[in-house]
Amino acid sequence: MSDGAGRTGVSDPTARLVQRMLVERGVVRLASIALVVLVIFSLASGNFFSIINFQSMGFQVAEIGLLSLAIALTMLTGGIDLSIVSIANIAAIVTAQLFMSAGSGTASGSSSVVMTVGFIAVGVAAGTACGALNGLLITRLRITPILATLGTLQLLNGVAIVWTGGRAIYGMPESFLNIGTGFVAGVPAPVVVLLLAAVGTAVFVNRTGMGLRIKLVGANPTAARYSGLNNDRVLMRTYLMSAFLSSLAGILIAARSASANADYGASYVLLAIVIVVLGGVNPMGGSGTVTGVVLSAFVLQMVASGFNMVGFNSFLYQIAQGVILIGVLGLSTITQRYDLRSALRMRSGRDVDGAPSEQLPAALGPPVPPREREHEQ
Amino acid sequence: MAPAEPLLAATGISKHFGGVVALADVSFDVRPGEVHCLAGENGSGKSTLIKVIAGVVAPDAGTIGIGGELFHHLTPRQAIGLGIEVIFQDFSLFPNLTVAENIGLAAQVADRRKVVRPRVVRRIAAEALERIGVRIDLDARVEDLPVADRQLIAISRALARDAQIIFMDEPTTALTWREVEALFRVVESLKERGVGLVFVSHKLEEVLRISERITVLRNGVVAVTGDVTRFDRAAIVKAMTGRAVTDARPAESVRSSEQPLLEVEGLGLQGRFKDVTFSVQPGEVVGVTGLLGSGRSEIAEALFGVTPADAGSVSVDGRPVRLRSPQDAIKAGIGYVPGDRLTQGVFLDQSIGRNIIAGSLDRLVGKLDLVRPGLAQRTVDETATGLRIKMSSADAPVRSLSGGNQQRVALGKWLARDPHVLILNSPTVGVDIGSKHEILELLQAKSRDGMGIVIISDDVPELVAICHRVLVVRQGRLVGELSGEQLTEETVLRELAA
Amino acid sequence: MTTASDAGQRPWLSRLRGSNNEGILALTILVLCVGVGVVEPSFWSVRTMLNVASNSMTNVIFAMGVLIVIISGGIDVSFMAIGIFCGYSVIVLTNETGFGASSAPVGFVLAAVIGVALGVLNAAAIAGLHLPTLIVTLGTQGIIRGAMLAYVGSKVIPDYPEGLDKLSTNYLVTATGTSSTRLSVLIVPAVLICVLVSLLLRYTMVGRGIYAVGGDAESARRAGFPVVGIQFFIYLFAGLLAGVAGLIHVTRVRLANPYELVGGELDVIAAVVLGGASIFGGKGSVSGTVLGVVLISLIRNSLILLGVPGSWQRAAVGLLLIVGVGAQALSARSRRTSADLVAEGAPA
Repeated sequence: MSDGAGRTGVSDPTARLVQRMLVERGVVRLASIALVVLVIFSLASGNFFSIINFQSMGFQVAEIGLLSLAIALTMLTGGIDLSIVSIANIAAIVTAQLFMSAGSGTASGSSSVVMTVGFIAVGVAAGTACGALNGLLITRLRITPILATLGTLQLLNGVAIVWTGGRAIYGMPESFLNIGTGFVAGVPAPVVVLLLAAVGTAVFVNRTGMGLRIKLVGANPTAARYSGLNNDRVLMRTYLMSAFLSSLAGILIAARSASANADYGASYVLLAIVIVVLGGVNPMGGSGTVTGVVLSAFVLQMVASGFNMVGFNSFLYQIAQGVILIGVLGLSTITQRYDLRSALRMRSGRDVDGAPSEQLPAALGPPVPPREREHEQ
Repeated sequence: MAPAEPLLAATGISKHFGGVVALADVSFDVRPGEVHCLAGENGSGKSTLIKVIAGVVAPDAGTIGIGGELFHHLTPRQAIGLGIEVIFQDFSLFPNLTVAENIGLAAQVADRRKVVRPRVVRRIAAEALERIGVRIDLDARVEDLPVADRQLIAISRALARDAQIIFMDEPTTALTWREVEALFRVVESLKERGVGLVFVSHKLEEVLRISERITVLRNGVVAVTGDVTRFDRAAIVKAMTGRAVTDARPAESVRSSEQPLLEVEGLGLQGRFKDVTFSVQPGEVVGVTGLLGSGRSEIAEALFGVTPADAGSVSVDGRPVRLRSPQDAIKAGIGYVPGDRLTQGVFLDQSIGRNIIAGSLDRLVGKLDLVRPGLAQRTVDETATGLRIKMSSADAPVRSLSGGNQQRVALGKWLARDPHVLILNSPTVGVDIGSKHEILELLQAKSRDGMGIVIISDDVPELVAICHRVLVVRQGRLVGELSGEQLTEETVLRELAA
Repeated sequence: MTTASDAGQRPWLSRLRGSNNEGILALTILVLCVGVGVVEPSFWSVRTMLNVASNSMTNVIFAMGVLIVIISGGIDVSFMAIGIFCGYSVIVLTNETGFGASSAPVGFVLAAVIGVALGVLNAAAIAGLHLPTLIVTLGTQGIIRGAMLAYVGSKVIPDYPEGLDKLSTNYLVTATGTSSTRLSVLIVPAVLICVLVSLLLRYTMVGRGIYAVGGDAESARRAGFPVVGIQFFIYLFAGLLAGVAGLIHVTRVRLANPYELVGGELDVIAAVVLGGASIFGGKGSVSGTVLGVVLISLIRNSLILLGVPGSWQRAAVGLLLIVGVGAQALSARSRRTSADLVAEGAPA
C-alpha cells in the first residue's frame, strides 16, 4: 500500500479477467447464493438434484440469459432496452416466416443446413436492424432510452401482431428445431449457445476498445466526451449489440417452442432486469460483469424451477422477482453508503471545495440532464 | 466599541469528502450589522463552510451556535427557520418555474404555508425585486433568462425571507457595476437593520470596500482573521496563497523563429467570443485569463471541439485543422484538461488505469479492436510513475484519491498520448500546495520538451509564475498580452480590472 | 436589464401554444377530427364523443398519478398493477365479508386506502432508499400483481356487491341508435379528480413542491422544501389515484378480471408524455395530460372507424409515442440553443 504503485494488478483488461472473477466480491457472493439455492431446493424436493431437471433448466435458461445479457449491455451505458422481447419475437417471426414460405419440410441434407443457417442469419439481421432504430432514436433524436425503447417495444410488438395476424407460425424443419431441443455432449444445445454468446460478450466488454468505451460512457458521459469518445457511436453499437443478443434469444425461443409468436414472453422484461441487477450490474451505468449476469440467470432459473417443484405457483415466482429486484438494489445501496462512510473516516489528504457529493447518483429515476448552468462556476 | 455578541458562531468545523479534507477545525462567526468577508482561493473550503452552515452538508465535527442554541448539524429547513439565508454560487434556482415563484415560493415555504396564493407570491417577488431596484418579468421562466438576471433573482429570493444572517457566495460575478452598486446599497441598508452578512468574493477591491472583518481560509484551515483595517491587498493575497512573492519566472525565453505549434486566427463563436488570434510556439507556456463569464473557458472548449467555433481558423504544426468535435482536436494533436475535474475530467468510479487510457484507446488496440494488454499496462505504469500518482493500485477507483492526485490522473490521460498542444483549464483548482507545485513543474518540463501549453486560469500568481506570456480576455475578446518584464501580478490584475 | 424576450414579443401566440404545448396538441386533435370526419362522416356524432369519453375515463385518472410522478422527475410502471389489485380486491372483499356491500362509496374508500398502502412500497424504496424509479416500480408491479393472483384470487368474478352493481348501470347520458352508447356516471368522479389534481398542482405548496423537486431536487432541498416528504406524498397519492381508477374500471366493465390492465401502462405513459410532461421532470400540466389521453383514445377510435384492423392499434400507439417524444426532443434542442445565446449576451 504505497508508492511504486501501478505494478500490481493493473489496468490491462486481459490479465485482469481471471483475477477479477476470483476477486470480484459480487461474483463470489452470487456463486454462494447459487449454492445456497441449489442446496435448499435439493433438500426440499427430491427431483430437483437430477440430470433431467438440470437439462430442463438448461433449455429454459438460455433465452432469458441472452435477453439479460442484452439488457446488461445497455445498462452498462446507463440506459436500458425495454424492447428486447419484441426484438426477439421479430427475429423469430422473420425466420419462421422464411421457413414457412420456403416450404422447408421437404428440403434435406446439406441444402437444409445451408437454408437453416441462412434463414437464421436473416432473422438475426432483421432483429439487429430493430436495434438500429433504438440507436437512432436515442442518439439522433436524443430520446431517453426508457421512452425510446418503450415506444419501440410497443411499435415492434404491434408490427409483429399485424404481420402474423396474432397467430403463431409453425412449420420449422428438424434441423432448425434441434437448436432448441437437441444436445451437444449431453448438454442442452441452447446452453451451448448461451455460453458461446456469453464468452463472446465477455470478450467484447472486457477486452475490446469498444467494450471499455461502453463502460466509460456509462460511468460519466460528460467525461467520456471530454476524453474524445464518440458517445453516439458507442451508444449505437450498444443498442445494435443488444438487439443482436435479443435476436439470438428469439431464434432459441422459436426453435424450442417450434413456433414464433408476436406475444411470446411479455413477462421476460421484468425477469431480465431482475437478473441483471442481481448479477451486479449498476443500473446507473459503468460497472457490471458478464459472469455475474450469467450466474444470476442460472440462480433465477433454479428458483423458478424449484418453486415449481415445491408446488408454489407462478404468481409467487412473480412476487419473488420483485422482492429480489428491490431487495438487491436496496441492500447494495445501503452497504454502499456504509462503505462510503467508513472510507471517509479512513481517508486523509487535503483540499477541495464542492467536493463530490456524498449522495448516491440520481435519486430520482431516469438520468437527469445536467442543469443548464453557465460555463464557469 | 466592544464587539457585539455574534449572531452565529461556528466552532471547530471539520469535513471531508472522499479522500479530501475540505475543512479542518474551522471557527467562524458573524456579528449583527457587519459584513464579514470570507476569502480564499478556489478549493480553500469557503463553499463547504457555507454549505455546512446552511445545513446542506453535515459536518464531521464541530458545533454551530445560533440564537443561544448549539447544533451539531442543521437541516436546510432548520437553517432557514433560524434566519440563515444563502445566495449560492450556482444560484440554486428552479429553471422550470417563473421568476415570481422562484422568489415568492421560497418565502412561503419558510413560513410553512400549505396553500399557495399566486397573488401573494407575485407580491412578495415584486417587493423583493423592488428592494434591489431591478425590473424582471415576473412571469418569465428562469431557464429563459440571462445569467445576470438569475443572479439578481437569487439575491432577491434571499431578501424575500426575513433573514438575520445572509451569506453571499460570489454574488457579483455576473453583474455589471451598476447592479453591483445597487447590491452594495442593499447591503448597507441590511447592515443598518442589524443583519449580519457574509460576503465571499475573489474581487479584493470589493472585499476591502464593504467588509468590516476578513477571514481567510487556506486549504481548509483559517489562515488569518481580523478587522479589515489590518489588511491591504498584499496581506490578503499573502494569506490566501501562503507566500509573499511569486516563484521565479521561467528563465529561458522561447525562440519565436520556429514554426508555431498552434496558430489561432480570428476565432469566434456567436454570442461567446470574437476575433481571437494568438499563437503558441513549441516549448511555450501561454496563459489565458479573464473574469468569470469573459469567455476564457469557451475559447478553450472551442479549441478542443466541444463547442465548436463558428468563425476563424486554427492550424497545428502549420497544418490547418477543422475542430468540429473532440475527436478532431485529438487527431490534430490537441489535448484538453477541463475545468470541472469531478464531472468532466475524470471517471470517479472507474479505476485509475482506465482513466489514464481513456483518451488513447485507439492507440492501444490491435486486431479486432482487442486491447493489447502489455501496451496498456505499460502506458498506465509509465504515466502513473511519471506523474508520481500516489495510489495503492491502478485498479483503485479515482474517487479514493486526493484532489491533487485526481488532477494528476486527469492530466495523465493526455500525457499518455503526448499531444502537441495541451490546453488546461484551471489546472490547480482544488489541488493542495504540494501537488500544485509538482503539477506546474511537470508542465514546465513538458514545455521544455517542446510541447505547447495553454493554461486557462484566474489564479494570477500561478500564471505569472509559469507562463511566458499571458493573454487577457474581456467580454469575449483578447484585450491584452503581457510578457517578459511587463508580466507581473500587478499588471495582470490591472488588465483584468480595466 | 433584459427580460424574457420570446414571451414578450408575441404573447397571444405563446399563450395559445401553452406552456407545455397544449395548444399544439389541441390543434392536432382538431385536425385529426376534421380529417377523419371528412373520410368517414359518421365520425361526427354524439356516439363518438361518448365512446371517447368512456374509453378515457379510467386512463385519465391513472394519467393524473403518472403525471405527478413524471413532473417530479420519476417514472411509474406499477400503477396498473395497483389499480387492478384495488379494484379486484374490493369486489372480493365486499363479496366475502358483505362489509359495505350496499354502499358504493365505501368500496371507493376501501380502494383508495389499499392504493395508498401499496403506494407505500414505492415511496419507501424511492424516497427512502433513493433507488431508480423505473426499476422500483417494475419490481412492485411484479410483487403487487403476483400477490393479488396468489392471495386475493385469480378467477374472473361476474357477481358484484349491490352498491357497485347499481353504480355500474347508472348512466349519465344514453345515446340511442343502432346500438345504444352510454356514458357511465363514473365520468363525474373522473372529471372531479382532474380538477382536484389541477388545483393541487397549482395552488398548494406540495403541488408547487413537486415541480420544484422535478426542476432541481438539490435546489428544492436548499430552499427548504421537504423533499423526502414530497416524494412520499407523490407515491402515496399516485397509489390512491390508481386504486380509485382501478375500481372505476372494474365497476364500469361489470366483470372483475384480475388479468386485466397490467400491460396497458404504455397508453397512459404515452398520453402523459404527449401531453407535454417532460420525462426529465419539472414540466407537465393536467390540461395537457387530458388532451393526451383524449388523443390516444380518439386515435384508437378512429382507426376502428376507418376500418383499420384492430391489430394495428398497438403499433399506432408506439409510433405516436416515438413521434411525439421525438418532436418534443427536437424542439427542446433548438429552443435550448437559442436560449443559450440570449442568456450569454453577445460580446460588445
